[in-house]
Amino acid sequence: MALRLIQVLSHESENQTVSSLRQDFELLEPKLRPPFSLTIPSSQEYSQLNRAILYGVLCEPHFAKTHIKHLHAIVTDGYAFIVNLLVKIVSELYPKLVDTAKDQLIWVTETMIDVSAVGVDSLLVSLLRQIIGGDYSDGNLWLCFELVRLLLAKWNFLLDDQPLVLSSALYTYLRLLADHCRLSDDVKLGTLRRLEIELCVKIVREEFHLCLKIGRDLIRLLQDLVHVPEIRAIWKDLILNPSQFKSSGFSDILLLYRSRTSSRYILLRITPEMEAQLRFLLTYVKLGGQKRHQTWFAKKFLSGPDRETLIVDMVRFICCAHHPPNEIIQSDVIPRWAVVGWLLKSCRKNYVEANVKLALFYDWLFFDERVDNIMNIEPAILLMVYSMPQYVDMTHSLLEFLLLLVENYDVEHNDVIVQGVSSAFNILVRKGVIQSLDVLTSSSALSPFLKDRLRKFLSGVKVGVSKQLQPVPLPIPSMLPLKFSAVSSMETPTLSPR
Amino acid sequence: MLLMYNACWQCILGSGSSKGLMLSLKDIVPAALNNIDTKFILLEKGRATLEGQNKTCLALVADETAAIHFQFWGDECDAFEPSDIIHLANGIFSYHRNNLILRAGKRGKVEKVGEFTMAFVETPNMSEIRWIPDPNNSKKYIQEAVISPHSRIFPPMP
Repeated sequence: MALRLIQVLSHESENQTVSSLRQDFELLEPKLRPPFSLTIPSSQEYSQLNRAILYGVLCEPHFAKTHIKHLHAIVTDGYAFIVNLLVKIVSELYPKLVDTAKDQLIWVTETMIDVSAVGVDSLLVSLLRQIIGGDYSDGNLWLCFELVRLLLAKWNFLLDDQPLVLSSALYTYLRLLADHCRLSDDVKLGTLRRLEIELCVKIVREEFHLCLKIGRDLIRLLQDLVHVPEIRAIWKDLILNPSQFKSSGFSDILLLYRSRTSSRYILLRITPEMEAQLRFLLTYVKLGGQKRHQTWFAKKFLSGPDRETLIVDMVRFICCAHHPPNEIIQSDVIPRWAVVGWLLKSCRKNYVEANVKLALFYDWLFFDERVDNIMNIEPAILLMVYSMPQYVDMTHSLLEFLLLLVENYDVEHNDVIVQGVSSAFNILVRKGVIQSLDVLTSSSALSPFLKDRLRKFLSGVKVGVSKQLQPVPLPIPSMLPLKFSAVSSMETPTLSPR
Repeated sequence: MLLMYNACWQCILGSGSSKGLMLSLKDIVPAALNNIDTKFILLEKGRATLEGQNKTCLALVADETAAIHFQFWGDECDAFEPSDIIHLANGIFSYHRNNLILRAGKRGKVEKVGEFTMAFVETPNMSEIRWIPDPNNSKKYIQEAVISPHSRIFPPMP
């Protein structure tokens, strides 16, 4: 009987990882049935045996328990080797695995949690990365469900041993909830949504210190979910009752705003395959010759009704997690701002476009030289400046959005945001990313109204950095900190209070 | 195994069936031999047509050095999509019904080995070059003139 781990199409070369596993399985197959050998394997035999057992676990569900018993009997490395192998399989092959192997993968992951295997945190994170945003296919929802179930079932272990897995899970599921709450009348999604909300609320309410590890992007994700009652209640407490979270040192949402989100969270929402292709595009493809690669990328990852929400995650990835070295920046390779411009142009829905712009400017709003990286804010300024000659509409829409954010994104902390954006402009000029802001303020292509607003903003900042910009804070009538309601004509995130 | 590799390194452009002996597309010369081992990315497929009983499909493929017209044959036509990275073993580059095309032929093999992550150029196109027999060696072809810098069948994307 031929065992199968992955789907192989006709004319597809054999996968090296799979063939090495299978060879060891075939070689050692007679030894994989009880009674097991009592001799202690050499280190090479140990690796071979691990590979053979793993292949058996994934391909022979009916013998899986026997294989795992065998593994328990021989293990000498805290399961590190086999977990490493699992991470490799997930990262390289997950989309190709046959369904039974996917079932087995979840089962063996659960087993590895039960034995506190070395590296099981990486395994869970690599599985979380395989969930695709904006994808309502059965296979994808199945993975969402299996992992949220697993995380809830193994809560105590994870909390004690692998708390960062829970921060990662929170980041992942808050993002996915935005998808799963959008189709709120879909019955199939109902159970999944309830579990996802349960997990997220549990982490935020009971283990708020794990939220603090994520930093400002947590707010960006929560903001998309204010229409979910449980999340709305969290919002309310974040603003009005921060002591509710019983986390020492947390007294204000500012603490989150001021901490930059590590790229490891950003990477969670990009599959390894997307990451590889985006990095390839930004490392090897020349500006002017990118058309085919862009078309292929869009066809593979962005076609499908809600896939475009992925663009938000991709722009975040480009800003925060892909920082090319100087040789690339100075070469003729397509720069990050051009890829962001293309992705922005690929948005069809207004709320997605607004969220993409927010993703692009998010680090501007709270920019602080001491904790932030200029590379995170570089794509936005270059996209604005380089779009002017031919695509001044792009510059207009971005600049207008930025000024809108300054005025309306959390009016309670307007002083902080004014400070952040002005620091951003400041360092971009100081470090020579752009020669001077005159390219914006004195350009004849930009609308006089917009130039005027920008000049006012910049001059206000210069004279008013140290003085209190904000009058006595007023209570927020709607409890929504991120109110875009002052703006009616602009495309905005769907945040209008009900 | 090692011996085989060594032997192959010495017959550099010989019957390249071993990995690691990939020919760049720019170095491909028409010949009546099934000895081309190369790797390329599929840029565009034309419409499948029937050649006698068999389905064929002309395509534009390329690597970092050049582009070339490739002919898929039979079930190959549906097995590959644009952006696939393909390894051709024992392929042949020759005139076929007046077109200068690269193909697997009866003895060759094409296999998908990857996707997307390959840079390419669309000029020169080796199928859009006029070749003449080498005056010094009538068994060999040399380039006489460029007919078109790009494929005339699959023009570059604007």
